[in-house]
Amino acid sequence: MPRGGYPPAMALVVDRLVKRFGPVVALDGMDFRVEPGQIFGFLGANGAGKTTTIRIVLDLLRPDEGTTTWHGTPTADLARRTWGYLPEERGLYPRMNVLDQLAFFAGLYGIDRRDAVRTIRDWLERLRIPDAAGRRTDELSKGNQQKVQFIAAIVHDPEVLIMDEPFSGLDPVNSSILRAAFFEMRARGKTLVFSTHQMETVEALCEAIVIVDRGRVVVGGPIRDVRRASGRQVVRIALDGDGRAERHDLVGWLDGFPGVRLTRPGADYVELTVPREVDPQAILRAVLDRGERVARFEIADPSLEEIFIERVGIRPGDDEDLAPATTTASAARAATP
Amino acid sequence: MSAPERSSRTGPGLRRNAWLIARREYVDRVRTRTFVAATAVLAVVAIGLALAPIGLRYLDRGTIARIGVVAETEPALTGTVIQILDEQLNRVPQGTDAAAWERPYRFETVADPAAGRAAVDADVLAGLVMIQRRSDGGLAFQFLTSGSPAGQTAVGLQFATFGAAVLEWYARAPKGGPVPFEMPTFEVVATRTASNEGTTLDPQTAASRSVLSTVLIVLIFVTLTVYGMWVATSVAAEKSTRVMELLISAATPRELLVGKVVGVGGAGLTQYAAIIVPAALVVLFQDRIASAVLGPAPLGGEAPLEGLTLPILGAFLLFFLLGFVLYALLYAAAGSLVSRQEDVQQLALPLSLVSMASYIAAVAGIGAVGSTVMVILSFIPFSSPFVMLSRIMLGRVEPWEVALSVTILAASSLAILGLASRIYATGVVLYGQRPGVREFFRAARAAVR
Repeated sequence: MPRGGYPPAMALVVDRLVKRFGPVVALDGMDFRVEPGQIFGFLGANGAGKTTTIRIVLDLLRPDEGTTTWHGTPTADLARRTWGYLPEERGLYPRMNVLDQLAFFAGLYGIDRRDAVRTIRDWLERLRIPDAAGRRTDELSKGNQQKVQFIAAIVHDPEVLIMDEPFSGLDPVNSSILRAAFFEMRARGKTLVFSTHQMETVEALCEAIVIVDRGRVVVGGPIRDVRRASGRQVVRIALDGDGRAERHDLVGWLDGFPGVRLTRPGADYVELTVPREVDPQAILRAVLDRGERVARFEIADPSLEEIFIERVGIRPGDDEDLAPATTTASAARAATP
Repeated sequence: MSAPERSSRTGPGLRRNAWLIARREYVDRVRTRTFVAATAVLAVVAIGLALAPIGLRYLDRGTIARIGVVAETEPALTGTVIQILDEQLNRVPQGTDAAAWERPYRFETVADPAAGRAAVDADVLAGLVMIQRRSDGGLAFQFLTSGSPAGQTAVGLQFATFGAAVLEWYARAPKGGPVPFEMPTFEVVATRTASNEGTTLDPQTAASRSVLSTVLIVLIFVTLTVYGMWVATSVAAEKSTRVMELLISAATPRELLVGKVVGVGGAGLTQYAAIIVPAALVVLFQDRIASAVLGPAPLGGEAPLEGLTLPILGAFLLFFLLGFVLYALLYAAAGSLVSRQEDVQQLALPLSLVSMASYIAAVAGIGAVGSTVMVILSFIPFSSPFVMLSRIMLGRVEPWEVALSVTILAASSLAILGLASRIYATGVVLYGQRPGVREFFRAARAAVR
């Protein structure tokens, strides 16, 4: 992974974390680093160990083995205001008004009320809910409550912002407002780590990612490297003329290219997954040799979603009732002894 | 980007954060409609209870206290004495309509002292005045009573018998020359005496103290249980609304716990004061209220809250506060282990059982505060708030015993704070678990590991 010009220790380093809840191994050598000033995607199916890792970084849990450091200091020794945390499960005091509530959280981080109120009003404005200040939290829409919760995570101006699913439940307009806020935070030199199941969001925002599964990293690094490292490319072909490129038309001649698979049949265009050892140009030549007229030919790296499915075996966010989820439940049950 | 400051994990500090949390909790709680309504209703009920004795006296106002008079050696004396006693004790109070006024006492001649004593024991007579001639010619009065030796009746009788002795002396004086007046003696003999470890309490004070002791123990029990449950449900609410996740990343479990206990405790004390103060004022001014309602009492009423002294009040407040802290911390830990508010009751059950057992032991032991069991219980943290209080009120307790009990209680609260913080830290991030007594102990065991 690139060091981004910082000395090796100047980063958020998660180093070989192991955490067991009774018989369940929640983290099995979780290991990655986040460069300062990055927007970093922390991806994985439910139950892959994301929340456990985050809780260890925040010192809400202690690992059985391994360490987490920020700029070389164990995260457990750092002031709480170093971190901003947006938990996956949203929750605010329903009866409190928004301004008082946010000032209360800021106060816990040692910010005095006057400064807090200024910051809060500024952010409410930025997130386009300036009128929310004097209202009770339970009077706000879900999306606006989520924005308030985002402000609660950053009201104390943390160095590192850790967010669990910040975009879930937001409509496209609010999503783009939140994305703008992310860029604003990065412009201020903050480091942002977030988990999500929305791969387009990751591609739009993140400079680097890790994909984790069963408590360990399966792939990680700058997005470009992750895509390249997949060992294959995606080729999209559209032929001139309606409906010519249907699946049965292609099956025959694809046999000449070992390892090439049809991943998206369609009337408008088809998508093929091509191993690195096959030259996409050879495919183009073969199509032309068959006398077809090519309207579109595109070579691309696989999408993150494809890489995710390939590495984890399931679609992101598609895993509620699969094995990892039950692991979480039993992990919680086993956490007490 | 600046290097992260290396500072203590507690951030702005335990006191500041605990105070912020306590203030939020307090304001949030006392502002609710249920709080205001419950406080108002309870205050009215308490005032009603405080007025109950006046109500009883009102219903009882027609009752006449019968007092027997016997002079075994000089039966002739009884007539004179009865006349004087009747004049003195049944005097119509000023400003009262004499026709409507009913006499509070009826004096009657009793055949012999034995019969009189039997009547007193059987509560047929409220008291018995026995008259004897001393060898020096003066009169000796003995007042046998099942009531208080220092009560209003005894005091009134002492004055009246003096008057009777003067009259008797005057009537007896020979025409030739005066006989020197010999001061009469007046002695009160209480038929029911209570004694505790060598300290003799008069029956009135003893009765008053055990009633008061019971009342204070009940108050402590109710407060611990009710406000303890407030703490538990409040923690569970933060957990079920998930606001806990924000709190726990902003503040330490210890700050959250202390803040919660202080905030809820403050709200509890506020409610407590709102209920108790008006009722206590009613009790203090019971006499005036009674004379307004019932007309002036012939000899003044009995002193209200007899036996409630400043040290006892101080001990009550001290043990109440320390006991509350101890139990509330554990209630908070219990609340942190459930995911749904409905499950709080179940998990708090062991705590409620402990406080109930201590309460029952303390109330049941009121008659035997000096027993070994009670002495031991008065040092055990969970029962000492209840038991030490009744020992202080009804027995003889050395100052070092109180100091030791308080020290043990305070030290246990500190130890429990450490334990509860760990249970809490474990509990608040656990969701979806079936709560139960077993989980509570498992978490506690995990916490001390």
